[in-house]
Amino acid sequence: MLRQNFSFTKRQLGYLLIGLGIIAFVGIISVDIIRAGGEGGIGPAQRIALGLAGLLVLLGISLIPLGDRLA
Amino acid sequence: MIQTLNRILIGFAFLLLAYLFIVYVAYAVNLIQFPFDYDQGEGFELVDVMMFSQFKFPYADIESYPFYGSIYPPLYHVILVPLAWIFGAEYWYGRLFSFITTLITAMLIGYAVYKETIRRTPDANHFITRWVAVLAGLVFLASNIVYHIGPLFRQHISMVMFETAAVVVLAHVNEIQHTRRRRYVLFVGFALLIAAGYTKQLAAFTAIAVLIFLFIRNPRRALTWGAGFTLVGMGIFAALTILTNGHWWTQTIVANVKDFDLNQAEGLFRLFIRTHLWLVIPALLMIVYEVYLDRISIYAIWFVVTLGLSAYSAGTWGAGDSYYATAVAAMAILSGIFAARTLTNGWGLPRFTRILSTLGLIVIPLLYIEYAVGVFHTPTTEFFFRQVTDALNIEDNTGYNYYDPDGYITLAYAQIGHFTTDADIQNGNRIVDHIAAIPPDVPVLSEEAAFSFATDREVITNPVVLYILDQVGAYDSSELVAMIEAQDFGLIVLRAQFFPPAVNRAITIYYEETERIPMNGFDYIILYPRDEPLIE
Repeated sequence: MLRQNFSFTKRQLGYLLIGLGIIAFVGIISVDIIRAGGEGGIGPAQRIALGLAGLLVLLGISLIPLGDRLA
Repeated sequence: MIQTLNRILIGFAFLLLAYLFIVYVAYAVNLIQFPFDYDQGEGFELVDVMMFSQFKFPYADIESYPFYGSIYPPLYHVILVPLAWIFGAEYWYGRLFSFITTLITAMLIGYAVYKETIRRTPDANHFITRWVAVLAGLVFLASNIVYHIGPLFRQHISMVMFETAAVVVLAHVNEIQHTRRRRYVLFVGFALLIAAGYTKQLAAFTAIAVLIFLFIRNPRRALTWGAGFTLVGMGIFAALTILTNGHWWTQTIVANVKDFDLNQAEGLFRLFIRTHLWLVIPALLMIVYEVYLDRISIYAIWFVVTLGLSAYSAGTWGAGDSYYATAVAAMAILSGIFAARTLTNGWGLPRFTRILSTLGLIVIPLLYIEYAVGVFHTPTTEFFFRQVTDALNIEDNTGYNYYDPDGYITLAYAQIGHFTTDADIQNGNRIVDHIAAIPPDVPVLSEEAAFSFATDREVITNPVVLYILDQVGAYDSSELVAMIEAQDFGLIVLRAQFFPPAVNRAITIYYEETERIPMNGFDYIILYPRDEPLIE
């Protein structure tokens, strides 16, 4: 990845987005558990953030079939 | 037949956007002549300029007299310092500068649309491409969001200019083969980003977008230049923190950790979509095309990142529709590229190109017409505008002889855009008369700095700074409250009552309202010391 002329392909970007989406999803849930001690539930702002994390994963999945074309 | 219809529709779109440009110029001319605050806080920007012109930092101890601090970075104010040396404490040059920066941004948008189209399709019809580029520039200036803040003595719109310039400069930096030239362009782009960040903190969103773009295209370059960018940015930050004994940190970082209101964020997002929808659609289509059929451009990432982060941050206390101004610039570029590509057969989709172009001849101008209708705003009484609004049967929906696409309803939507009047200036002068009647050695607490400038008095406090630092527990109001309790101030002028609750409470107990003077649609409350304090 740190090669002089490396550039992300659509597939690699897809994997990256899936990874980021999962990390974000888990992170939002974890913060909620740590901060609220598991009580209070997920608020509307967090629900939106979870939705966006899910969208990121879906976008990533949709990019994988595009293969080695440059992103 | 279709060609003729296309020309008529494009002409109509241009006419509408040109009208909104005339409204914008008239608004700017009106505000540039107005001698007092129009938008809350303009006067404090002027205070910052005057302090820098005297080689003083505005980031000072807000807990002791004169309780003044600033939450904004210095670049906008520093740029205006030479004008302060020549003309003194005046509003017009700050507003004129902001207005000029919007024109530069519009030109950058037009340039980006033209270059991107010709770059991809060198034999594209240059005449049509130029027209679309002009429309894209006008789109930015026509936005009700840009219009609101364009000619204000505020730094936000200058930040948008630096952001746009940085993005346009860096758009094709990775394709530059010549190493020295590429490094030079990267240097200029990052310098513009630092300029944007030191104009207003929100430029961080554009910096994120730029770094994501560079990372996708060339991670090594992104990390190297990103590290350098961070180092320089942090170096300036550390220097300012040291030079101001930590007040820079407290006032520009701690003060910006504010409460989030989801209702406010949602309302402003709905407003943005409602007014800008018809050009958000082609911008999104352009992004979908780039993601699945082409390479992802810096403009696509810029639009997504700034729209998303601005939508979130618009829900914080003190935020407003202006937070969408950067997204409007990105939208104008993306939709402009979409329009120019459609009208010049530049999609590179052989099976659909002909159908798309034919459809585009009708749909593209309609999108611009619908956009102009969505953001339409106009005074309803001034010369020329009255005739137009009468002819179109458009009525004042704000109460200030002004039609606004929101009607000043949405929470945190700036209730500005209407023109100032002679009565506003007369009423401002009445407030000045009140202050001038107080002996010069007796301090006056004014919630807006303009009146202090007009009477050649020291500006005391910047209420918003006190309020937000109070909210995060970083301000002790004891000294200011003690002065109010001692009735040290000969007069207090309030507008939005943005002081911390303890200060507002002390004012209510020790000062009594004698008059409310309307100016620009806001009531200025005049308070004199009570003979006997109210019982707590």
